[in-house]
Amino acid sequence: MQLVRSCLIAAVAWLAALPALAQGTISNLPRNQTLIVENPEGTIKNAGWFNIWAINAGGQSTGLHQLMMDTFWYIDPNRGVDGVWDNSLASDKPKYNADFTEMTVKLRPGIFWSDGVEFSADDVVYTVETHLKTNGLRWSAPIQVNVASIAAPDRNTVVFKLKKPNSRFHALFTVRWNAMWMMPKHVFEKAGDLLKFDFNPPIGLGAYTLNSFDPNGKWFIWQRRPDWQRTTVARFGQPGPTYVTYLDPGPPDKRVIAQLNHELDIIHDTSPEGMFTLAKQAKTSHGWFKGFPYAHPDPTLPAVIFNLQNDLLKNRDVRWALALLIDIKAVSMASYRGAATISAIGVPPTGTHPDYYQGPLEDWLKAFELDTGKRKIKPYDPTVGKQIADMLRPSLGDQVPSAPDQIARAFGRGWWKPDPQAATELLQRAGFKKVGGKWQTQDGKPFAIKITVEGEARPVMTRAGSMIAQQWQQAGIDAATTVAQGTFFERRQTGDFEAIISWSVETWGGHPDLSFFLDSWHSQFVVASGKPQPPRNWQRWSNPELDKIIEDVRRVDFDDPKGVELGRDYLKLAVREMPIIPLMSYNVFTVMDETYWTGYPNAETAPYTDPVPNWGNTKYMMVKLKPTKP
Amino acid sequence: MLAIARDLFRYNREFALGVALLAVVGGVAALSLVSPYPPNLTYVVPPDVPPSWPYLLGTNSRGQDVFWQLSFAIRNTLAFGLMVALVSRMLALVIGLVAGYLGGWVDRVLMSINDTFLVVPLFPILVLFYFVMRDSMTWALLALVMAGLGWAYDARLIRSLAMSLRTREFTETSVFSGMSVGRILAEEHFPYVLPIVFSTTLNNINWAIGLEVTLAVLGFTDINTPTIGGMIFWANQHTAMVAGIWWWIAFPVALVVATFIGFFLVAIAMNEYIDPRSRLMRTGA
Amino acid sequence: MTSSYPAYLLRRLGQFVLVVFIGINIVFFISHATPIDPVEQTVAAATQFGATSPEAIALMRQSLRELYGLEGGLWEQYAVFWQRIAVADFGPSLSAFPTPVSVLIRRAAPWTVGLWSIATLISWSLGNLLGGLAGYYPRSRALRAAGAVAMALHPIPYYIVGFVLLIVFGYVWPILPITGGYQINLERAFDLRFVASVFRHSLLPALSLILVGLGGWFLGMRSLVSNIVTEDYVVFAELGGVRPRRILASYVMRNALAPQVTGLAMSVSTIYTGVIIIEQVFGYPGLGSLLVYGVLAGDYSLVLGVASVSIIAVALAVLAIDLLYPLVDPRVKAR
Repeated sequence: MQLVRSCLIAAVAWLAALPALAQGTISNLPRNQTLIVENPEGTIKNAGWFNIWAINAGGQSTGLHQLMMDTFWYIDPNRGVDGVWDNSLASDKPKYNADFTEMTVKLRPGIFWSDGVEFSADDVVYTVETHLKTNGLRWSAPIQVNVASIAAPDRNTVVFKLKKPNSRFHALFTVRWNAMWMMPKHVFEKAGDLLKFDFNPPIGLGAYTLNSFDPNGKWFIWQRRPDWQRTTVARFGQPGPTYVTYLDPGPPDKRVIAQLNHELDIIHDTSPEGMFTLAKQAKTSHGWFKGFPYAHPDPTLPAVIFNLQNDLLKNRDVRWALALLIDIKAVSMASYRGAATISAIGVPPTGTHPDYYQGPLEDWLKAFELDTGKRKIKPYDPTVGKQIADMLRPSLGDQVPSAPDQIARAFGRGWWKPDPQAATELLQRAGFKKVGGKWQTQDGKPFAIKITVEGEARPVMTRAGSMIAQQWQQAGIDAATTVAQGTFFERRQTGDFEAIISWSVETWGGHPDLSFFLDSWHSQFVVASGKPQPPRNWQRWSNPELDKIIEDVRRVDFDDPKGVELGRDYLKLAVREMPIIPLMSYNVFTVMDETYWTGYPNAETAPYTDPVPNWGNTKYMMVKLKPTKP
Repeated sequence: MLAIARDLFRYNREFALGVALLAVVGGVAALSLVSPYPPNLTYVVPPDVPPSWPYLLGTNSRGQDVFWQLSFAIRNTLAFGLMVALVSRMLALVIGLVAGYLGGWVDRVLMSINDTFLVVPLFPILVLFYFVMRDSMTWALLALVMAGLGWAYDARLIRSLAMSLRTREFTETSVFSGMSVGRILAEEHFPYVLPIVFSTTLNNINWAIGLEVTLAVLGFTDINTPTIGGMIFWANQHTAMVAGIWWWIAFPVALVVATFIGFFLVAIAMNEYIDPRSRLMRTGA
Repeated sequence: MTSSYPAYLLRRLGQFVLVVFIGINIVFFISHATPIDPVEQTVAAATQFGATSPEAIALMRQSLRELYGLEGGLWEQYAVFWQRIAVADFGPSLSAFPTPVSVLIRRAAPWTVGLWSIATLISWSLGNLLGGLAGYYPRSRALRAAGAVAMALHPIPYYIVGFVLLIVFGYVWPILPITGGYQINLERAFDLRFVASVFRHSLLPALSLILVGLGGWFLGMRSLVSNIVTEDYVVFAELGGVRPRRILASYVMRNALAPQVTGLAMSVSTIYTGVIIIEQVFGYPGLGSLLVYGVLAGDYSLVLGVASVSIIAVALAVLAIDLLYPLVDPRVKAR
């Protein structure tokens, strides 16, 4: 028995000694010069692959496209370091000819690749011609559809000849999350088959180079270039962190734990509850907003997207009835615990959009009338944002803003007032009948609708879908959610859904031009039921009035104020037709820890870029960061 | 039967403890019948209230009362375990008895298949099933699939018993009196293997519940049906652990652990009962 | 019925081949019933962010279809699949195209095999040792307490034990790493620092597996030993004054070991399942994480590859134990 006893003693001693073994997360790097960032792609299965031009071969937001890649222009989703538009590799804005069939780009001189070769028009020509010649690269298709030829009249000028007029061709080279990146000609021309080339180690134009990475894909470490002055961000100063680590910290609760231990400087996204925990327990952790709702509203618009090729949903009255059965306050609570920024209209309430769209349309919305068949109602309730703020104030106190403009920015303005009576009238007009408290369709079948949600990968949206299903159920509709997990995108593309919680509206954020998503809503791209629909008109909406708006947008310049007018026309049309029910912006709980770094972007004093670290635009964040313990 | 139970209660502390645990678990499950809230509705009570009156086990971040949610969850989870166990018992009995009684090539073929199922790692197969079926993977279908995968170990056990029964005198008597194979197995052999079937059933329930919890927590099941795994899934979705809503995780885990231990203790008590030598040691007779 | 070791060996080999054949067939046909189109998955991933034009997507779809080589009927693919298995090549992964699935598996497999074999070895030997002692010294209070703990832990699924350990040692008392296989930026060299880091990171996953596994062996061995101690030869040995330690080692444990080895062969696959789940809990970079990733990414060539390799690995482990079995228990030449 001696044996057992000594085993027990040994075990206790071993447990007691464990804390002594505790060590930092990262070995061999000075913590005070290292920025640690979550990469939401998780573990990269194919870690040693840096050829970002091959589709889905390796990671993108491992730091690769934020820190190493570069292209002509960036549009900031918020205000920008020096305005929303930044000329990065280009020295000026794009110059089109009169009929938009030619685009000329002037390049910034004195920019060098990380291996010391100077960047020039030859690299641009090589990149574009390679995409013209090679099928299956990430940007092969858009180049092949648009570009007739490219020429470099001198070392710092390139001229694109287009196959047909396109006033938005520059969007391909303008970073909103990403854009078509430049290839180093001197590396790629020796690479052989580009679809099989791993580009390891990568050579880039950004201010950082690869230091090391985990073959199992858990982390990537990047190091500031000694010659960072020869990169495009040098205009704004020296990037703060000497090293930047992008890693997979695991599920949301592990991210919160890691930041509480100051081992993760930027959390990409966590649950609302995780955010509240950090706000309460970690003095040094901040979100985009100083107080509630903390999260950064991405220029993406989660909505209830109907499948308009479904017979039941073809009728506008049915869609409006379903919208009037939603209580957005409950959806905001269930999904974001109130930390949502709502929008009744079809652009996300983020960046500069409230100034161009939500604000100016407010009066039109208040006056908007809906005919239920029996009477006319005014469905818009402009006080919903304030109601949400008031509802949260008792439990959160002065974390919740009280100035009306702050409330509008943080929680949104108004939304549709829940109106079961109007919904009933609309459904009756559509030929539906309520029998024994349950709605039946025209042919006497139960009115059943499934809301497709993504599940685990996007908990907040899944929660919103569950809440909406519950509200419809309570109104007598046979509604339920179905969790699609990995098949989510496939279903969305092939139209294998009745309603889906997703987004078909994504915008630049900082710039009011809506062509980014709107152009793809033209009826010329709508496919037959069952066939895969190209992004982003997932609702498969075709409308002659909309087509006309889109065609008009195509004819005006990117910065023409007429574009904003046309955008408002689209918004009014979408309110009348209700092809999707806009809910809120995609709020990302990006949390930044100021223990080792300061200077992060925030809504109140430094809205210079999007802190959400998988955006290519976050390269501008690096130049603003300063170490706290140098 | 009653006398056996009484004996077990008196002399076997494990049995008593196991039955007590299962009684608690069963009681909680039965209470779901009188729940004031439907199981799928959210935001029916104030969210995140710690355990206190009238929310005995607190409320979760979805505005559900943890106690009532738990009673639905454990009921579904138990029903799932029972269903898997019953179906897989039928498979195990038929295959075990037939293989053991007939022997020869039938036995060899059946046992080869049997050994395959013993060796094939089930989890990847279940995940594959989910991968293919996606949201048509209902609760009942999952139970059937698991039953189809979970019989092998016990079929082998039953076969070895059946092999020994075959050489007994009463079997030969039945054969000479012209009974069909089916009747011999059903009427003569079945009662003999019943005790062992009973104890393996309990272990099989545990196995099924364990896998269901695991699959549900990873999000590989239907999240609309409340189960113990589903509760932990939703708690994780709301990062209940770091948000300090410990009661949302602790109580389902504690209850399901009680279930596991309860079934297991009863099963080993049954095993001991079947093996008379250890029973005598215990009663001191 | 007696037979020789070669005949036994042959029969076991036959069983191995059969298991692998049936198992892989199941996996092939299930995974090919999938409604998922890998091209759509890739298009979705590639167009999730950034600008896209509808005409371009149509073109992208077409070229991806050619690239992935998704032509050919089911039987054609079936034939190709077996050819590939024969050379351990599962084709390119569709979610990490064009990297071969076999490369991804090779990268992940050492972590899984390491965790699996070490956890199995420790729980089996420690469980049997303690169980043997508990059966031989039924009155020892420490061992009875150990028995109660083993009995309480044994029926709990791996996931729950792992999850509780994660909360306790990662959150309540955060002293152990809860994610990853080794410290970030540590060079992979076979030196003390690297090995120590791998060890630290494997502690919680391994502990979860051991805590659950231990109980089964403990309880099995205890009841085997408590039966054997009443056998005549043990009683005679005791009367004959053989030292207790010797009795325990050579008379009791030795004889009880044979069924426990059989048991090990039968539970290898259950333990494997445990490893896969535990990897998921602790973000361990092994085959389990790879499998779940493949499922969520809709990458069926990857899922098929990992599942096939799992079946072969488990069947091989069983075969190895089976082949060693006659050496442990010479009485049993054939069964």
